[in-house]
Amino acid sequence: MEPNLNDIFSSDEKDILQEIMNIAFGNATADLAQVIDIYVVLSVPNIKVIDIGDLPHYIKQNIPSSENTSILQQKFWGEFRGSGILVFPQTSGKDIAGILDDQFSDDGFTLHRQKTEILLEIGNILIGACVGKVSELLGTFVTYSPPHLIVDDSEGHNNLINSFEENQTAIVMKTIFEFENKNINGFLMILTDNESIDWLRHALQNFMESYE
Amino acid sequence: MIFEQIFNMVNVGIVILDRDLNVRQWNRWMETHSKISGNEIIGKSIFHFFPSLDAPWFKRNCKSVLAFGNFSFLSQKLHKYCFPLKPVNTFGIKFDHMQQNCTMGPLRDQTNVVEYIFLMVHDVTEVAAYEQKLIEMNIKDALTGVYNRRYFESRIEEEFERHKRYKRSFSIIMQDIDYFKKINDTYGHQAGDFILKSFSTSVMSRIRAVDIFARYGGEEFCCMLPETELVSALSVAEDIRKRIEHTTFEFKNTPLNITISQGVSEMKPDTSCAESLLKKADDALYEAKRSGRNRVLNK
Amino acid sequence: MVKVILIVDDSPIARKMLKNSIIKYKEFDIIEAVNGQDGVDKYTANKPDLTFMDLTMPVMNGYEALQKIKEIDKDSLVIVLTADIQPKSLASVMALGAFTVIKKPAKPESIQTIIEKAELKLKAMRG
Repeated sequence: MEPNLNDIFSSDEKDILQEIMNIAFGNATADLAQVIDIYVVLSVPNIKVIDIGDLPHYIKQNIPSSENTSILQQKFWGEFRGSGILVFPQTSGKDIAGILDDQFSDDGFTLHRQKTEILLEIGNILIGACVGKVSELLGTFVTYSPPHLIVDDSEGHNNLINSFEENQTAIVMKTIFEFENKNINGFLMILTDNESIDWLRHALQNFMESYE
Repeated sequence: MIFEQIFNMVNVGIVILDRDLNVRQWNRWMETHSKISGNEIIGKSIFHFFPSLDAPWFKRNCKSVLAFGNFSFLSQKLHKYCFPLKPVNTFGIKFDHMQQNCTMGPLRDQTNVVEYIFLMVHDVTEVAAYEQKLIEMNIKDALTGVYNRRYFESRIEEEFERHKRYKRSFSIIMQDIDYFKKINDTYGHQAGDFILKSFSTSVMSRIRAVDIFARYGGEEFCCMLPETELVSALSVAEDIRKRIEHTTFEFKNTPLNITISQGVSEMKPDTSCAESLLKKADDALYEAKRSGRNRVLNK
Repeated sequence: MVKVILIVDDSPIARKMLKNSIIKYKEFDIIEAVNGQDGVDKYTANKPDLTFMDLTMPVMNGYEALQKIKEIDKDSLVIVLTADIQPKSLASVMALGAFTVIKKPAKPESIQTIIEKAELKLKAMRG
């Protein structure tokens, strides 16, 4: 049976979580413009619950062409813990490098490696922005492991699944992002671990109480 | 506090910056490797001492720490280093600067507001050197030190794509040492290896830095000349031919003379793929061999 | 004086948060609308002294609703609430005639300050 958000949260808690996400991703958009000098459009986040085993299927469903996708994962730790996952459709190295106004040498050989590193740096900033803002609103903070790329094949997908606990349900908060005028878009998900769901419920109530 | 000693005992550079990017802490490791004392730098802007950090990538990462409480991982692969420091152990290391992985993160006040940025600097010069060596092993021929066939083929594919987009001409030369087997049979394999190395050195000294010269297999070599039309490529090949013909290579007091045959081809709009360009040069080389060796022909 | 306040936001939680912040300050007649269109309708029907407007909403977004309300009453005081506050969006909202823009999540204190400012403005306008 499909897991359901209603089994985990009351309808009030669900609304609070949705509003926190709206605020967090809005704040992230505003601050990202300061950090990377580009307007990143983040869509209204969508929250749902999935079984970890369905994650590759879910990713596939959400990208128009499943070929040559770059998937990036970054774990975060704290009371609020889980993974940020960024899915980038494959774009040319130049487009990606163009997001950051740095000068890179194009000697052919190192360009591919640099492209990977640039992806990781952009991913780190995007995931950090969204996770950081959510944490801030929930009155906590998190630390991060370095992000890494996941190869988009069955082995890569298995590694991704194996990095979670078995039979875990995860709360997925998904947003579509687009770098304005760069024709680069993708989607970003925040997945929470089972362990932080109790904490999350508590944090949602605390958040609301501060307005009562 | 005794525990505070850790700050100066660890084999890692630790720097703490405030929101204006002024240095607030500078540990012993940083003092040792930068030759700048804490007294000198604390309270001053980091850019005053390290102007190279006054760049978009560094400031962007500082901002993301301050705005989001982010951690930034500045990898050696992308940035080489944050601080231009001298490598510790110069033995066998080709880098001008210590290669570094740097981590940045937030330090917060009691209300969780990010007040400072910490920076940790790890020396990864040896790892980077090892990695560079592996890469070289992967793209270079062990005996002669020139590129190997796999690398040559990937570069010619790239050049072919570039030609399709920008219509830039380029040519290739296929080269084969005449009667190489005889050298091996008469003077031994060591002499043969010596000839392969000497020949490579000689060609390398004639071609440009942008040209890609590779050992294609056995005594067969290949040279790709970007932005070069057939006429120029032929004259380069002829030049190399003369040079080799008139050079006496001395192996253990034995003078050795060799000649080479060469086939040249130029990229044309109707060339369907990189492979067919190679085939044309190879055909020309075969013709050169068949019609008497020690000559340059084109197709 | 401010008597009637209209809150336009699609999120029930956002409306509740804002309502609680306002009530903490003083008692008002508070009317709620769930999207831009509903906001325009309720504005027309109730003529509130002050309107709080979210930007991202279904059916009709906040920009459009703001524009419509200003067309109905050019002196209306509309306070825009948004999480994505940056020079670009700020400028366009102000150009449409918003009274001011507040960053979400809005602290109760800043809501009170803004109501005080609006009361002063109303006093000056109505004499």
